Amino acid sequence: MSKTLKYAYYPGCASQAITKEANSTTRKIAEILGIELHDMPKANCCGAGLLTDYDYGLYIALNARIFAQAENMGMDIMTICSTCLMVMSTANRDLRNNPELFKKTNEILAAAGIRYNGTVKIKQLLWVLVEDYGLENLKKKVKTPLKNLYAAPFYGCHSLRPSDALGFEDPERPWSLEAVIASLGAEPVEYGGKTKCCGFQVDLVREDVAVEMTGKRLLDAKMQGGACMVTPCPFCHINLDNYQGMAEKKNNQKINMPVFHLSQLVGLALGMTAEELELSRHLVSAMDVLREANLIV
Amino acid sequence: MGKGICMPFLQAYDLEAREGMTVLDALHVIKDEHDGTLAFRMSCRSAICGSCAVNINGFPKLACKTQIVPEYKKTNAIVVEPLSNHRVIKDLIVDFNPFWDKINKIEPWLNREAAISGQPSAFSKKDILRINNSGKCILCGCCNAVCNALEADRDFIGPAALAKAWRFTGDVREVGKKKRLELLSKEHGIWDCVRCVHCTQYCPKDVAPLQAIERLRANAMKEDILDNHGAKHVESMVDSVKRTGRLDEAAMTFKTLGFLRSLGMIPFGIKLEMHGKMPFPLIFPAIEGMDEVKKIYEEAEKKKSGVRRQKSEDTG
Repeated sequence: MSKTLKYAYYPGCASQAITKEANSTTRKIAEILGIELHDMPKANCCGAGLLTDYDYGLYIALNARIFAQAENMGMDIMTICSTCLMVMSTANRDLRNNPELFKKTNEILAAAGIRYNGTVKIKQLLWVLVEDYGLENLKKKVKTPLKNLYAAPFYGCHSLRPSDALGFEDPERPWSLEAVIASLGAEPVEYGGKTKCCGFQVDLVREDVAVEMTGKRLLDAKMQGGACMVTPCPFCHINLDNYQGMAEKKNNQKINMPVFHLSQLVGLALGMTAEELELSRHLVSAMDVLREANLIV
Repeated sequence: MGKGICMPFLQAYDLEAREGMTVLDALHVIKDEHDGTLAFRMSCRSAICGSCAVNINGFPKLACKTQIVPEYKKTNAIVVEPLSNHRVIKDLIVDFNPFWDKINKIEPWLNREAAISGQPSAFSKKDILRINNSGKCILCGCCNAVCNALEADRDFIGPAALAKAWRFTGDVREVGKKKRLELLSKEHGIWDCVRCVHCTQYCPKDVAPLQAIERLRANAMKEDILDNHGAKHVESMVDSVKRTGRLDEAAMTFKTLGFLRSLGMIPFGIKLEMHGKMPFPLIFPAIEGMDEVKKIYEEAEKKKSGVRRQKSEDTG
């Protein structure tokens, strides 16, 4: 690669707390790959969609505050959360398409001494690996090809839709996650529910519905031969991993499907150990699956 | 298996596709030349009537608006199936009764002051734009067919009815706004949407049902209809970001569920903590530059009525 990749790094709130292993492993793989991640200590929460349900203008202004910081850093934003990706991309699209909104938002920001000029792009780790870093370059860095690992890709909702705001790939036929899995030497598993909802948004509102959805996605992947799942989103991870026990109870069967953050699967292929990948932080252990695939002893 | 009932199956037909040919054209060719028993709904052929919605290669689309060649290029196949999330009656025809029941539930008519009923009333361009998107709905059922919440809970009112609900709730002439929002805030209503964005992605008329749901939610909160987990969840987020600039998971769980239901989460919390995952609220540091965040909150509050949405230039 001719030029060093640099991003204003926005891990999102979940990855700084409940799924902080996604954050730490992203930092580690970025270091190995030579991607510069620059912290944004002033960055606020994107609102995870909930601020939109309260006040649209506030949601847009708080997101524009994040973009303005990246703009000042002279970098595009890279996040590791699909919900942050969707929420920020939607705000950025609306600001781009609506001059009146753009003006009013900057009037709000001016009270805090901030201005956003509309130049920032929002990306997620998955896109950075595929488009900016390149799969051929990624393959060259693989130390431990993940042979015999049958990994079911789970896109979820917010890394694909709404496509007019995200604009990376066709949500009907996504390919990027499979491409990364294959580049790491693992076998991507095709199954029906990979672009559907994990249920996270209603975990606290309708837990029964959330668990129903989580169970369906897990069982679907298992039925098609997935030994593990991999997701680019920490919220999907919360449901697929933390809520798996509840899904097992509801479906009255053992599922036992370990779920990797995208950064962990990449890290595994780059030669990182189970400790470095912080796999013990998952509720469903990945150890048996990795042992079976001869990836750990 | 009862008489005349069989398991669903796929039937293959070979036909020549020319440039510009739609899936509906193809269905007609099949019916005319291959299989006269093939059943499907259609009427206008112009993406106006909404009757020919079917699943095409796994996603709901209007057969009359979907061209064969580009669709075929994507997958090397054209698989046409009845709309998902609906009971099949025959071939591509599904039972729309549950769909109409949901639409009827939101009372799809305008409640006006008795005094002005029957009289024309002023309705500005701004007033129309506010509900314009929802008014574009052709009741085709594509959104309900992909709705992930409806798939998990058949009683969910669904995006089509909620888009229609905004058409009337957001109408400045409507006098029953608060009552509507109270009904919609109950279980199976606005707060059961899982924000999967499928409805907005697959609507063939750009109705953007998710946006209608967000507006209904924001209006319900403005009307102080806060005694439900959905509104409490949003309130806790608004408060968390205002206090710390971040999403404080533990505090949000507590505020959303209340004291008693939070107690029920303790075993789950212990399980999380065994893996070092329990997010404790007390050690949650605020972001840098909280003064800016506070200023933005104040300023946005002042301007609340002035910030307009993109698609229908709505004020709220």
